Order: sequence, then structure tokens, then C-alpha cells
Amino acid sequence: MTLIRICIHISVLYGFYFIGSWIQQRFDLFIPGSIIGMLLLLVLFATRLLPTRWIEEGTTLLLRHMPLLFLPVTVGVLNYLDLFAGSGILLVFIALFSTLLVMVASGLTSQWLAVRKERSQTIKKEHREQKITTGM
Amino acid sequence: MKEFVIALIAISFTVFIYMAAKKFNQRFPNPFTLPLLVGTAVMVIFFVAFQIDYDTYMIGGQWIEMLLGPAVVALAYPLYKQWEMLKTYFVPIMTGVLIGAVIGVVSGLQLAKWLGVEEEVIYSLVPKSVTTPVAMDVAATLGGAPPLAAIFVMVAGLGGVVLSPYVLRWFKIDHYLGKGIGIGSASHAIGTAKALENGEKEGAASSVAMTLSAIVVSIIGPMLVFLIY
Repeated sequence: MTLIRICIHISVLYGFYFIGSWIQQRFDLFIPGSIIGMLLLLVLFATRLLPTRWIEEGTTLLLRHMPLLFLPVTVGVLNYLDLFAGSGILLVFIALFSTLLVMVASGLTSQWLAVRKERSQTIKKEHREQKITTGM
Repeated sequence: MKEFVIALIAISFTVFIYMAAKKFNQRFPNPFTLPLLVGTAVMVIFFVAFQIDYDTYMIGGQWIEMLLGPAVVALAYPLYKQWEMLKTYFVPIMTGVLIGAVIGVVSGLQLAKWLGVEEEVIYSLVPKSVTTPVAMDVAATLGGAPPLAAIFVMVAGLGGVVLSPYVLRWFKIDHYLGKGIGIGSASHAIGTAKALENGEKEGAASSVAMTLSAIVVSIIGPMLVFLIY
């Protein structure tokens, strides 16, 4: 029974993927069809038109075993082994450096804005409490 | 008939390698024993040693690859589960992810351009900070090589995880939201796994950042490429 449910769940995900790909082709968008499908599904979740339990099992299974799904593609690096013997090593450093830039920039920005928001909320709260205690 | 047998062997072989790599990772938990990394390495060595052609393998491999599209769609589920956090901290999260996405794409593009590498490689580098299936899709859209994109994604994931403790401490990023968004935006799923080890809230922030970053990079990545080139 579980197997049938999982197959149905994955078919539903496929449906969203196909719709997303169709929208991408129809309107000649550069956003991948899979992302469009995901946004559609998210909208249906958020508007509660589709309960998450309808696709929960298949989704969890796919997400848990994602590395298996990448394997056939990553093995394709086979055709690029020459590249990494040459200047490819420098590319690895570029990717690494750029990754650290992203980490610092995203982290600092989010943290700064989040702390500011939390602080303004506690100040507001303190104001309210003060008003209550002083009876104003 | 012959094709069918090859496909069956290729699929079983991939599943077997994946399960073995997973067991290995459970036995020796470490970012460098990630199933994807170990599995890819073992399979590449195997194919080189026995001179098996990639195209032959893909007769079966393509059936597994077909599930990547639905897997990306499935990411809507974890994102929806963090809906409350997303609502409360929408501006801090979105701003952080956006800035990270722009810096990631532009720095990758510029550095590779200075190095003078060919376009196919540059385009494969652009989406390196997002989760593999999306990165491969974006690379393909741009005219890059999906396998190369997957390799750069692994570099970003592993490198970010290994170096994150030092980098975060150095820049005084100590709020769970800052840490989670930083790791998730830079090192996608591999980083999120690490963030989850550090704490539930940090992991949740990271998974939100990873998914939003996949959406944002797939939209602004191609735009920035067309702008800069």
C-alpha cells in the first residue's frame, strides 16, 4: 500500500514538474521548469488548496535519497577529467573563495537585520509594560 | 533487449554504490565521506579502470536522472514547513539570501573571467551555491555543463562546511539566523546538514536559505550573466 502511495505522490510531483516545464517553454522563460513547478506547489500549500499529507511520503523519500538521483549526472565529470588536471584546480579555489564571500555577506546581513528587528520589538514591549506599570 | 539489460545493470549498480556509500558515511561521519562524493569517486574510478563509456552507462542512468525534476519540486515541502520563521523574519532572510546570491554569481563569473576559462566552464560555475538539481538545471539553461556544475556545487558545499566554523567566528556571526542563512546560502544541502547538527533553529534557517537561494539564483543568475556578458 505504502509503495502505491509513494508512486502516486511522486506522480503528483511529476505533474507539477511537467506543468512548470510547459510554462517555461510556452513563455520562453529562463527560470528552470522545476523551480516554477515548486513555486506552484508552494502556492497551493500556502493557500491550503492542497494538504501537505497528500504528497508527504513521496516527497520525504525523494528528499532523503537526493544524492542517489545526482549520481548519474555527477559521474559525467568523467568527460571532464582533463580540465581538472590543468587549470581546473584554480577553478576549485575560485569556487571556494566565492562560497566564503557568500557565507559572510548573507550571514552578516541577515544577522544585522534580525538583531535590529528583535531590538525594536523588545523596546516596543518595554514601552507597553512601562505604560502599564505607571498607569499611563 | 540488450539496451534493457544494460539499463537494468546500470540502475542496480548505481543504487548499490549509493547504499554502500551511505553505509560508509554512517560508519565514518565526515563531510568528506558524503555519499555523493564517495559514490561519484568510486564510480568514476570504476568506469575509467574498466573503460566503460559514460553514454553506455547513461542508458540506465537517465532513468534515475529523470527523478531530479520532481525532487526539486519536492523542496516546496520543507520550505512550507518553515512558513512561520519565513513570515517573522521575511526581510532579514530575503535580504541576506538576495545579497548572497548576487555576490555568489558575480564573484564566480568575474574571477573565472579573469582566469580566462572557456564559457562552458564559467556558466557551470555560476550556480555553484545552490542545491545540485537546480544548479544543473541553471547551468544547462545557460549553456554550461551539468556535470561540472555538480562538481562546483560539491566544492561549495564541502568547502563551506569545513571552513564555516572559522569564518563565522571570525566575522562574529553568532545569531542562529545569521549562521543558518550564511551556511544555507553558501553551501546549500551539505551546509544545511551541518547547520542541523549545530541546532534545530540554525538548521531550519539554513534550509529556508537553501531553498530561497535556489529560487533566487535560478532567476537572477541568468539575468546577471546576460548583463555582465
